[in-house]
Amino acid sequence: MKASIGDVVLPGDYCEEITVAGEKAKVIIGPGLRRELDRVYVTKAGVLKKRNPCTYWVDSYQKRYVPSRGENVIGVVVQKAGDIFRVDVGGSITAALSYLSFEGATKKNRPEVQIGDIVYAKMLVASKDMEPELVCVDSHGKKGRLGVLSDGFLFKCSLNLVRKILNPSCPLLESLKNEWPFEMAAGMNGRIWIKANSMRETIALGNAILGAEYQSDEEIKVICSNIASILAGHIS
Amino acid sequence: MGQKDDIYQNFQLRPMKCELNFLSRSDGSAILSQGETVVTVSVNGPLDIKTTSQSIEKATLEILFSSKGGKPSVADRFKENVIRQTCETAILGCLYPRTGITITIQELEDYGGLLSCAINCACLALLNSGISLHHVVAAVSCIVDETGNIVLEPEYQQVQSAATKLYFVFDSRDKNLVTGFTEGAVGEDMYLEALEKCRAASDLVFNFYRDVVTKYSNVI
Repeated sequence: MKASIGDVVLPGDYCEEITVAGEKAKVIIGPGLRRELDRVYVTKAGVLKKRNPCTYWVDSYQKRYVPSRGENVIGVVVQKAGDIFRVDVGGSITAALSYLSFEGATKKNRPEVQIGDIVYAKMLVASKDMEPELVCVDSHGKKGRLGVLSDGFLFKCSLNLVRKILNPSCPLLESLKNEWPFEMAAGMNGRIWIKANSMRETIALGNAILGAEYQSDEEIKVICSNIASILAGHIS
Repeated sequence: MGQKDDIYQNFQLRPMKCELNFLSRSDGSAILSQGETVVTVSVNGPLDIKTTSQSIEKATLEILFSSKGGKPSVADRFKENVIRQTCETAILGCLYPRTGITITIQELEDYGGLLSCAINCACLALLNSGISLHHVVAAVSCIVDETGNIVLEPEYQQVQSAATKLYFVFDSRDKNLVTGFTEGAVGEDMYLEALEKCRAASDLVFNFYRDVVTKYSNVI
């Protein structure tokens, strides 16, 4: 079936608009779209979206992570194997993290990473035919915000929820950050790490994030103010 | 075409009801009722599997069918085989080489048309899991009653008394036949007529899929 931008699409639908745009300029087709011969077919169920000038993708629901290059993810170190750490990021196989890809690490000066540690890292290599590879430094050799996350609380959620709360237009973090202090790292692989001053605040934060999954922006604001008032009432 | 439309315009399928993401822990799941037949399906994958069953060019598909009684039988293995071959055409396995995708099907109620309900439910669970698909599939079942009439998606009593049962699965791209099998004897003309009727009826199933996806697309 023919589909156009903004439509609900199913796998097997095709979009002529993209083909026509592709004749004039370079087109970027993102997740959920696939070129076959002269047509662009949809491969996932969701909403067909476009960002100007020529980027197209399908917004779909997903829980299982498939590694993709350049994404920031949260993983758990499951094995130390010589020069590399094996990190579980939720994909089909574990990702490799070299001990040299930490800030200031040398062959003599190994970073202190133990099995069971949680790391916030960037996908350097992610291809369907190869083992994914992570790094904890940027291209200048600085760690930025990447590295081992100590203490805190890690939970899993759907990939959509992470994309939703990281969207600059989402009011969730805007309204929560004024209520009480906390730290948060959101991995594109559907894992969120949070750290607040007390157990009660951590639980409240986790509930606020998980509760936002199917809510609209207005409802999220209401949830946040409710949770904040409950929390304030119990503490005082 | 005008005459053809007249023949097919007054068909209808049993009412379908569906809930996606029915199970919280699996990657994709769905529960579907078609009339009184109810099936739930969970999809997990792409996952790591043992080296011996890995394929270097595509994902390995594993289907587990458990009947209401829970006792495995040869008939269940046969259903698994039919569903695996159907799903293999639909899934773009080449995007997930050396991995495994597991589809678990649990029969809850069987009042006729169990297999078509299982295939439709598996397709909905695959849509929910976010695995890339080549196309979606729709299964339609029908029977030929004593008087030689074709009844689409029959009721329980009709199924029990029917001599011939036919199942067809179509893809969403060109409405091509993906899977077709029969129980009982049927003439060639009757087979072709049933095929065309089911092909036309598959549109209802595809529209149902679209409605289900539309409902949740607004909130994610």
